[in-house]
Amino acid sequence: MRNKKIGQVCVWVICILLTVGAFFAKDFVLYDFHMLVSDYTYGESAEEKPAYADTAFWFSYGDDRAVQYGFDEGISYDDIALYAKTETEVLRVSDEDEYPFSEDFIGYLIAVVPPQTQIINGEEKTVYDFARADFGPHTFELTPRAFNSEEIAFELAFEERNRIQVFYKNEYLTNARITVIGSDGSEHTYTTDSDGYIEDFPIKYIRNGFTASYEPDGTSVYRMSYALEDYSYFTTHFYKAHLPVLVVLLITAVCIGCVCLIRKQYEKKKSTHKCAGKHSVKFRNDLRGTASSKFLLIRWLFLIFGFFWWTYAGKLISGGQALNQIAVPVFSCPFNLDQVLESSCYYLTHLPVLFTRNIFYVISFLVTLFLFLIFGGRILCGFMCPLGFIQDLMDKLRSALHIKPIYVSERMNKALQPLKWIWIIMFFCLVFAGVDFCDICPNKVFSSAFGGFWVNLALCGFLTIAILVCSFFIRRFWCIICPMGYLLGIFYKFNLFKLKKDCTACTECGACYESCPMRLKNIYTEREKENVQTVDCLMCGECINKCPEDHALRMTFCGKTIYQSSRMGFMSKFASKKRRKKERERDV
Amino acid sequence: MFEMNEKHKELFIRKSSRTAASYLRRIKELSDDIESVSPFLEALKKIYVDFEPVHSCDDILVGTLCALIPNELIYAAGAKPVRLCSGSYTAYSVGDDAVPRDACPLTKAIMGFVETQSLPIYKDCSLLAVPVTCDCKKKLAGLLGEYMPTIILQVPSDKVSDDAVSRYSEELYRLVRELERVTGNTVTRQSLLGGIQTVGRAQYEMSRFAEYRKHTPALIHGTHTMAVMNAYSYLSADTWADLMSELNDELEERKQKGIFAEKDKNPRIMVTGSPIAFPNMKIPLLIEEMGGILAADETCMGERGIYDPTVVIDTSFDSMMRALANRYIRPCTCPVFSDNRQRLYRIKQMIKTHQIQGVIYHVLRGCLVYDYEYTIMEEELEKLDIPIIRVESDYNEEDVEQLRVRIEAFIELIKLKNLKNSKKR
Repeated sequence: MRNKKIGQVCVWVICILLTVGAFFAKDFVLYDFHMLVSDYTYGESAEEKPAYADTAFWFSYGDDRAVQYGFDEGISYDDIALYAKTETEVLRVSDEDEYPFSEDFIGYLIAVVPPQTQIINGEEKTVYDFARADFGPHTFELTPRAFNSEEIAFELAFEERNRIQVFYKNEYLTNARITVIGSDGSEHTYTTDSDGYIEDFPIKYIRNGFTASYEPDGTSVYRMSYALEDYSYFTTHFYKAHLPVLVVLLITAVCIGCVCLIRKQYEKKKSTHKCAGKHSVKFRNDLRGTASSKFLLIRWLFLIFGFFWWTYAGKLISGGQALNQIAVPVFSCPFNLDQVLESSCYYLTHLPVLFTRNIFYVISFLVTLFLFLIFGGRILCGFMCPLGFIQDLMDKLRSALHIKPIYVSERMNKALQPLKWIWIIMFFCLVFAGVDFCDICPNKVFSSAFGGFWVNLALCGFLTIAILVCSFFIRRFWCIICPMGYLLGIFYKFNLFKLKKDCTACTECGACYESCPMRLKNIYTEREKENVQTVDCLMCGECINKCPEDHALRMTFCGKTIYQSSRMGFMSKFASKKRRKKERERDV
Repeated sequence: MFEMNEKHKELFIRKSSRTAASYLRRIKELSDDIESVSPFLEALKKIYVDFEPVHSCDDILVGTLCALIPNELIYAAGAKPVRLCSGSYTAYSVGDDAVPRDACPLTKAIMGFVETQSLPIYKDCSLLAVPVTCDCKKKLAGLLGEYMPTIILQVPSDKVSDDAVSRYSEELYRLVRELERVTGNTVTRQSLLGGIQTVGRAQYEMSRFAEYRKHTPALIHGTHTMAVMNAYSYLSADTWADLMSELNDELEERKQKGIFAEKDKNPRIMVTGSPIAFPNMKIPLLIEEMGGILAADETCMGERGIYDPTVVIDTSFDSMMRALANRYIRPCTCPVFSDNRQRLYRIKQMIKTHQIQGVIYHVLRGCLVYDYEYTIMEEELEKLDIPIIRVESDYNEEDVEQLRVRIEAFIELIKLKNLKNSKKR
């Protein structure tokens, strides 16, 4: 009784701490990319300049991260004025200063080229050229960080994900035609909306660099070259992006070690099992641990694929996010801009932002989201979710180290429910309180860091550690309290994939309950209904794999059985080698 | 303590081996020419007729009662389990003086053998593990403690709650410590895996056998099955699995050739209820001598004791202990659990898979827990239109004639019912 109370109190305390912590999330710094101001460099590049250029000019941070622009028509390096944005103001940078950048420089630079006359399409025009480069840790800005300086007449600023805001003479440029030339030479025309936004701007352009031009009248042209980041895999920058993961993993390892030690001390008092004798009996044929099955292998392949898909695929396959209208509800961090399909978690946690987007985007977002929710359901958790994959890896690691897990009893499962509801409320509502859910999201570090994005970790880093430690001992711990998972589970009755039980074949051996990562008991106790799927079922197929009765449990897709339990299939791992060989021969 | 002089002891041995031999003869007479059954009968003969040990003298024997002691742990500790539940009439009459009149005959038989210290498998036991299932076992455990080192395991009275499994796994830890003390070996993760594999192989062969049993017409007599399952109590799992493998191969061959144990389709009958331990085989024998076929049994000395496999979810030591606790508590349909509707479902399921036409509910005199469940069983089976009779018996030959009449009538009833059904069609 006392234990029960303590558990509940603990969960409530965590809930309160979490809620309070969410509001001060940025103050709990775990890992910050410390940008050394002295590492920001710029200059004239004499040797490596683009073919068309007379003068080349580059910005750089560190060694292998340079953005280069070329200017032609006889512009010399000395003509270029350089502006740097700090937290509070815009400063002019000049070569004469020993330390050109001030301490609060945030990594945004704009070079301004003096106006010049050019002949474009047979007409003589005055051309105003600007070049912008954004460096620094990767963050989402709810409002674009524009320079808004008098010297910069035409400016583009990148806002969260695929939006660009355009400024002309320090005001939003509304309903204007902007011509964009991508790095690959392709040309597109966009029209800005009433707030000066260009919607659905391909991230590919921003990543690789592009030039936007605007003609306010027949005589002048304003051009801005813009690049957000430019680097490739396996560079110093890429490796450095993994540092937060390393820190998280190190602390996790230490925490796991501590938990193991504490448990050992606790068990000494309880004196469970001490090795008393000197020898142990040797057996010739060892059990191959747990039974493997094709289905579970396929699940692992899908998980690995999902991880790859939401981490590297965008860059390797399409060179940037391609199908951003498709919103897949999985816990994959949109800080990684290289996802091929968009993870819907960003807009779900920033609902007001979603409705500032244009109506077509909102409709396509909602339609694809609900299609996945209704027909896919939590099978996405079991087969696709990158965070699920990482949790499964932690479990495999524990299993390989033969450390005993922690059993989530029914009581504990119930006690965890408040935590789940707190997460759900925070997931949807934090943004209305002016707090970014990403600041407390435990999945922020992985997919973005592996993709090579520099992401600072505040409170979310600590939560990641907590989730990792918990999922080491409790398989898929996060899934028990995952808000996105709950959302996915709501429409389980309409899912195409279903888990079914043949109650007449069940012997109530409880193997399904013991093997279930979500600790769902109904699958074991159900004796009437055929449908045993619930809101929490991940459709991972563990229970079917462990079920020793013929077709007692099965998974169906559109009513067709795709995987079912079988007794001989289960028992065959116990068979002698000779017998196993015989079975195989018979099957052939 | 009970003292017995040499002359009495000799008389006792002669008398009990005579009964066992007569039952073995009757089992053999039910010939279906399956050669691979004879090694099992041979083993039973060695124990109950010849009074010889079946294990080598190096083996450390650990006695168990009921189907709730994990043999896996005993193998892991390097010992050999023997299940001491016995059906000896002679031992019953000796034990009758030591336990109350209303106690079940099984307890009396065990008590009889322990008191006389005549049967080698009882004499050679270094440890006795008794789970507190029914009241008889609870008191028996106390009495046995005076004769040999005994460890008593508490069995939770419910099995659905998480607590039940955790508590029983604590008990199993206690058993491991005791086993380690007795054998001088350590139970490690590896050896526990080995133990699970050893028993698992027997269970694998058992699963194959269970498939053949579902076959109509029957491939093997139910009485022979009971003898085979009884032999598991005494033989080591490896030996039993080897013999069973041969039996399965032979059954496979016979199935393909179309050789069956019965000539025409006899009524398929299932026995459930109190354990049927060798040599008390009168009910299976009567069923099959009267022209029925014992197609399935739901008794703990039969299939049920071996049927459920240990489902290893994780290979850490603690997880495997928990898996064992889960395997011995959750699927167990012993009526000592308060809520045991699961047994009803199990029987219904077996009726379906084994095409059962009638159920004989066997109650040993004084076996209250099984008797409790008869009423609900009767009600439910009535809904399925499956005839059921309750048969009470004791460990003696006195009630044989009465049983014969009742079982014969029951079989005739089923035959009549079948006839009616076929006419209707």
